[in-house]
Amino acid sequence: MIQIIQVLILGLALGGVYALMSSGMTLIFGVMRIVNLAHAAFIIMAAYISFWLFKVWRVDPIVSMAVTMPVMFLVGVLYYRVLFASRADNPRFTDITVLVTFASALVIEGVLSYLFTGIYRSTSPVYATRPFLIGPFFVPQSQVYATLISIALIVSLWLFLQYTRVGNAIRATMQNRNSAQVVGVNVALVSMLSFGIGLAMAGAAGSLLSFIFTFFPSKHVAWIGMLMSLVVLGGMGSLMGAMLSSFLLAVIASYVSFYWGPTWAPITFYLALFLILLFRPQGLLGKKMDG
Amino acid sequence: MGTLVVENIVAGYGSGPNILRGLSLTIEAGKTYCIIGPNGAGKSTLVKVIAGLLKPREGRIMYKGEPINGLRADQVLQRGICYVPSDRSLFPDMTVKENLRMGGYILRNSSLVEKRIEQIFIQFPILKEKRSQMAKTLSGGQQQLTSIARAMVLKPELIMLDEPSLGLAPKVVQQIFGTIAILRDQGLTILLVEQNARKGLENADQGVVLDLGMNSFERPAVEVLHDPRIQELYLGKRSRPLQAEAAQ
Repeated sequence: MIQIIQVLILGLALGGVYALMSSGMTLIFGVMRIVNLAHAAFIIMAAYISFWLFKVWRVDPIVSMAVTMPVMFLVGVLYYRVLFASRADNPRFTDITVLVTFASALVIEGVLSYLFTGIYRSTSPVYATRPFLIGPFFVPQSQVYATLISIALIVSLWLFLQYTRVGNAIRATMQNRNSAQVVGVNVALVSMLSFGIGLAMAGAAGSLLSFIFTFFPSKHVAWIGMLMSLVVLGGMGSLMGAMLSSFLLAVIASYVSFYWGPTWAPITFYLALFLILLFRPQGLLGKKMDG
Repeated sequence: MGTLVVENIVAGYGSGPNILRGLSLTIEAGKTYCIIGPNGAGKSTLVKVIAGLLKPREGRIMYKGEPINGLRADQVLQRGICYVPSDRSLFPDMTVKENLRMGGYILRNSSLVEKRIEQIFIQFPILKEKRSQMAKTLSGGQQQLTSIARAMVLKPELIMLDEPSLGLAPKVVQQIFGTIAILRDQGLTILLVEQNARKGLENADQGVVLDLGMNSFERPAVEVLHDPRIQELYLGKRSRPLQAEAAQ
């Protein structure tokens, strides 16, 4: 029994980070119908920024979010402006984005390999290896911090979308782009901002990942598969869906990893993707799309 | 007065052909215009161009003596020209009230928007009753009403309604035209695009016939309604004897 609960705790402690990783990707898809296959590569890019700040100036990776988030926001705004803004009216826009972002992921991987080589990296603040001991259970401090910060960020994003003027404009654009234009929302600007916010979330995720996982430039290949299944399972464009599926799959993967071994854990994500596409392609909280 | 003058407008979508080919039209303040014409005549394209959602390729649009072609949609709204699209496109996962709030998006003054919404609730009690419901759960007629009310939050001087009766049951169509009558009584300038030509013309001062994106023919609505050519082409007069035969 203790074991079962212990595994549950470990799963939940990872769920928040997965949710943060997928939140930006689902937002970007929801607002612009961009399938951002470079999302994991951007996350790793941010992880390297945190790594570099840690190595050179001993900046705590959590503190370095103050750098990665704004930097990635700007990267997102520029990336959208240069590659997507002029194509937004193309009827095959979403198809185009798949190719463009896939190519971008490869470019990012190449540049990171050149700058940082392919060596496994991670940041090592003091809490990276310390656990919290609560009764018979143990939880790595790093995962607790990462998940709590992730949840705080996602809740802030949700509040921002729900209660601010710009947030409402983003939600309106997600729900009906034409209608948003009709009421005077500048959808081009909203799209650019949303891409920035999506990548700022990726930036935060990168900083947090840097002390809970080891990473190397080509690791994004493994993570994008996981992210795709989280986003699709939640319902593409649904923030709540992405959160739900992240915690759900993190816990399931945690059990799979415990009973069958860590090698089998990734199977959870692909199997979930397979099953959801078979039985409920719009995802848990997604809507059927008409266009 | 707030006269809208459309001059030699040429417009089309993307790299496609011209839909409007040099269309000219004058809309006088305070009147209701019903635009009829066959599919592809450019009725919807015309209102989209005026709303700033589609940039004209040539020509100009003057409102109160100032050019408004080339303005963004939000800038056109600022001048008091609102557009209600034909697909009743609301924000499906927002409540009726949130939809109305989005109608006042360009105002930036939330207390003013709230005040306008309260006025709308007095005018249309059904919307007050449904205010907390998600827009997607409304009936077609209620969605159309919400869509019109959303435009009314801006207190426009000119409102353009693109096929407000599309896909609605006859009884509901009646209600929507009732709503349009209320807007007329308030002195708004109305530009009504209608597939249901008879109903549209009966509720308008002026009738405008578009054909192939150009020669607009404009007459008082009653004249258009009784013009034998128009009756034959758009009001389905010819099919009457056939229906009579079928009835026997």
